[in-house]
Amino acid sequence: MPTGSELAETILIVEDEEPVRRTFREWLESARLDCQILTASDAESALVQANQHTIDLAILDWNLGAGNDGLRLLEDLTLFHPDVTAIMITGFAHQATPLQAMRMGVRDYLDKNQDLNRTTFLTAVRRQLDRIRPARRVRQLHQELITFRSTVEKVLPLVQAAAALHDPVPLPAAISNLFRFLLRTTGARDGVLLIRSYDAERQPAEIYRAYDTNGQPLNEPLVPFARSLAGSVVSMQKPERMEHLEEATDVGNLELQPFERGRRSLLAAPLNIAPGWQAVLELFDKQASEGSHASGERGFTESDRQLAAAAADFGTEMLRQALAERQMHRVLFDAIEAALGASDSMAQALDGSMPRPEDPPPAAVLQRLRQGLARGGSHVPDESSNAVDGDVTLRLAESIRVLAVRHGSSAVHHCIRLVESLRQLLDEMIGEMRS
Amino acid sequence: MSEPPADDVFADLFTLVTPQRLLHHPRATGEGVSVCILDSGVERALLEEKFRQRGQILHPIEGGIFTAAQPEPLPYDGHQSTPHGTTVADILLTLAPRIRLYSADVFGPQGTCEVEVVIRALRWAMDVWHCKIINLSLGVPEQRLQQVQRRQQLLRTIEEAYYKDVLVVAAAHNEHPLMRSYPAAFAPPLLSVDKGTFTDPLDFAYHLSAPIEFQAHGRGYLGPFAAEPATSWAAPHLAAIAARILSLRPSLKPFEIKTLLYWMFQTRDKEGCLFPSSGCV
Repeated sequence: MPTGSELAETILIVEDEEPVRRTFREWLESARLDCQILTASDAESALVQANQHTIDLAILDWNLGAGNDGLRLLEDLTLFHPDVTAIMITGFAHQATPLQAMRMGVRDYLDKNQDLNRTTFLTAVRRQLDRIRPARRVRQLHQELITFRSTVEKVLPLVQAAAALHDPVPLPAAISNLFRFLLRTTGARDGVLLIRSYDAERQPAEIYRAYDTNGQPLNEPLVPFARSLAGSVVSMQKPERMEHLEEATDVGNLELQPFERGRRSLLAAPLNIAPGWQAVLELFDKQASEGSHASGERGFTESDRQLAAAAADFGTEMLRQALAERQMHRVLFDAIEAALGASDSMAQALDGSMPRPEDPPPAAVLQRLRQGLARGGSHVPDESSNAVDGDVTLRLAESIRVLAVRHGSSAVHHCIRLVESLRQLLDEMIGEMRS
Repeated sequence: MSEPPADDVFADLFTLVTPQRLLHHPRATGEGVSVCILDSGVERALLEEKFRQRGQILHPIEGGIFTAAQPEPLPYDGHQSTPHGTTVADILLTLAPRIRLYSADVFGPQGTCEVEVVIRALRWAMDVWHCKIINLSLGVPEQRLQQVQRRQQLLRTIEEAYYKDVLVVAAAHNEHPLMRSYPAAFAPPLLSVDKGTFTDPLDFAYHLSAPIEFQAHGRGYLGPFAAEPATSWAAPHLAAIAARILSLRPSLKPFEIKTLLYWMFQTRDKEGCLFPSSGCV
């Protein structure tokens, strides 16, 4: 894992000639560029350095000796650091292969035989550092954002899973125990817990759910709270008893829920959890006991009502605590969502400031390449007016570079094959014409 | 009731004015009296249809939905937030069908009611709707109104109503006298009502010595829990009685109405009945 300084840029000098290497290093150190400077005498030690440090700028000798050339080394360096920028030191600038070199990050050439001195060297280095520094900061921010998002995305499922246990409303397991206790003590045959939350800012504003005595949600469509028996009980603010529900509710301002229909008796207790949160505990069909047979009682008794009132107080407290936990989850969700949103915005902003791979190379580099190509072009025998000038060559090179960036090397190879086929075809045609 | 002394100059006058004559007068319908119910809204179409089937045409029911978020009420859409308010309105309209009813829905879709919202609705009922009677079949238990400042605000609003000749009828807590609730516990400037059982729904009782002064019929006529005795149903019974009296003389002040009610209760017969023909429980 590279351990390059996060604060300063790292410059790697790869030069097989020790005096030259030392000179480059001295120039850089004397310029106080606030960079970490590494040196290597050959490709192998350069790659070792690249494995240990994040290389921002590589100053490479074109001819490293022992069969190695700087361009191949750069190709290997890009495997470690795809964003590495390079300045190529060459004795023959016109020999540079512009397309490949540009693709691999060569942004400048210095000709040992012509203009290489402390000033030109440092000017070239400073020019690249000026480009590298903002891009590097952006990359660091990107990396931090990626790390942040990765961390959040790891945490998020855990938090969501925890919250899902309470979704859509908090229902602690203790409620089931409370239900069992009430069923046993009152003799109710069955029961339901209705929980309703209302938030005008939410869609839908009303969430209304029913749970059985085991805390399992009932998936039947519910009558809206405003027209429900539970709504009526909440307004009464006290436990209510009722017998023969069908007859009692046949009045139009109230409808029975599916699970309330056909019940003989009801005991319902409101739980006023919080503003916008109401719950109602409903017990159905008190089963006749020997005592009730003797007394002629059929429905729930006053003592059942008092018991339900006490249980409702207890249940209210439990649900309030569960709601508080859920609200903590909500706060956490909100914070995570806000942070992810902020990171998205930041990433978009950074994307706008990052140089895109399809952006053309800087004008200075193009100018230098153009000069090199023009010089190289002068060595090409001028057989006819078919000679191609530097601009056209550069346009061709740029087109292929963009092709490579967008579609990879296979597209370039395909392109080369097409060009070769075309050349072959034209050669044959010309040959035929000449013959 | 004991015989009046021979020199009681009011005796002749009082014998002319009986509960029977007052409350069963043909004009004692609530006509000309605006009544606000601070509750959970009213299902307007349901009540209009119910009374239309009885051959009674109601004044259009108006109202608003009060929230803590904004000073002015949201428009009333003719629906209840929960069935409670409709049952209360039904009691009022059953006994005083010609009242002009205003529904102040203080529960709203949230389903809960804050003291501040009640105060806001009280003021709106007095100052905007110009109601003569305000029925509160709700209350804030004492333990939820520990803050002296909030309690004072509520008391000041109730007193304000009193000085504006607006009669506030407030239900006691259902667990009364074990539980106190406000504003019913502010007995002097309002009519505080506990539930009782009476054969005639226009019957009531008065107990000066008790923290809650009145008892009225505690059963309603609409909704699943209407048959279950509750102070929520008792309050609109007394409010309707007051509306009947006010339709005979709209200028009566709250203390005059309370005095009349007190006096009416004193006139009950030896069996304790307010109305000789009704029979008593």
